[in-house]
Amino acid sequence: MALIPFAFRPGKSALHLLDARLKFFLICLVSTSMLSASFVPCLIYSLLLILFFNLARIKVFQLLISMKFFLLLLGFIFLARCFSTPGDTLISAYGISISRLGVTTGFLVAFKFLLVMMTGLLFSGTTRPAQVKGAVQWFLRPIPFLPEKRVAVMISLSLAFMPIILKQNQKVADAQAARCGNLEKNPVKKIIRMVLPLLKKIFLCADNIILAMESRCYTEDRTDPEFQPSGKEPSFLLGSLILAFVFIVL
Amino acid sequence: MNTSNQLKMTVYSALFVALISIGAFIAIPIGPVPIVLQNMFVLLAAILLGPVWGITCIGVYLLIGLAGLPVFAGGTSGIGKLFGPTGGYLLGYLPAVFVTAAISKGLGKKLSGDIIAMIVGSLIVYAVGVPWLKVVTSMTYTKALTVGMYPFIPGDGIKIIAAAYIAKSIRPIIKL
Repeated sequence: MALIPFAFRPGKSALHLLDARLKFFLICLVSTSMLSASFVPCLIYSLLLILFFNLARIKVFQLLISMKFFLLLLGFIFLARCFSTPGDTLISAYGISISRLGVTTGFLVAFKFLLVMMTGLLFSGTTRPAQVKGAVQWFLRPIPFLPEKRVAVMISLSLAFMPIILKQNQKVADAQAARCGNLEKNPVKKIIRMVLPLLKKIFLCADNIILAMESRCYTEDRTDPEFQPSGKEPSFLLGSLILAFVFIVL
Repeated sequence: MNTSNQLKMTVYSALFVALISIGAFIAIPIGPVPIVLQNMFVLLAAILLGPVWGITCIGVYLLIGLAGLPVFAGGTSGIGKLFGPTGGYLLGYLPAVFVTAAISKGLGKKLSGDIIAMIVGSLIVYAVGVPWLKVVTSMTYTKALTVGMYPFIPGDGIKIIAAAYIAKSIRPIIKL
């Protein structure tokens, strides 16, 4: 069974217990430094990611199955790079040529996109939306004129909505397929028949959330969440700085 | 704005942040190529939430992407993406949403008005995105338009028409 991306999965792994503020900083550091990385550091990082997914008890293969359209998109990115990058010709047929450089850069770009994606999913899978809210609020507090509490609430709510939307989307797609909706040729009708039921369902869900928040006398002036560092933060920070250094230098 | 309405708009904006973020995962197969719905949700956010909350929604979406969550097109994130070749399209969402929402509101939130508003909004995204692409990659304008605009126009047209009908059906339900 495919897993729902972006959903939090409870657990007691080192990543689950890590301070959310540090996790935010680390994904920012890793995803930015990875831009200039070559293949070998990316490969090492992918092995590390698999290890952390296993420790967090999140099944990577099932997660990849649920992202089949995303993988298809990566395939398009790879092909686009193959055909558009000049260099030594690897294959040439019917006036179209693929360069060796195109294949290697295309693969590297697609691989990096996948790694950034998986890093983000590891973060959302091991961090409670309430912790995300607290961390965002903490980072935004020094910025003047920004309603950091409202922004933090919006971010934590949107992270909570993501798995709900993906789940509902799958249900609507299954229902459409059961009614032969996939045979519809008109693209406008096809989009409307997919998106309209999805939006109706999730707006209903949003209305229920509003009702629940109102009935609990929700205000923005609530007690801020307490951060409980697990003690492993310095090692994770050091490890990530080394990784970022390797990404940039090698 | 009273507290109840503010809460409602906060939750609806968060909902659209989530929709835009995972728009790249919601793909509809049309012919051999799946159409992703990310930019359609951006335009829907504009015409359903209005200028102020529409911009807030896009601002939060960009903030999530900057923080490293994989919400930009292609599942990417980070400051490098925002200042990379396709960063102009992302930054173009901000003025596009504001103008789309303002035109839709000015034309009485009618079907034809929404379509005009979304066409203008899409053009603004390209007006920011294509020159940005040209500057960052040192392409000619002809090549930047060929790779960064022309191939997406048919899909955008389909999405705009669909979005206008979706907005018409959703407005009475959400009562904004």
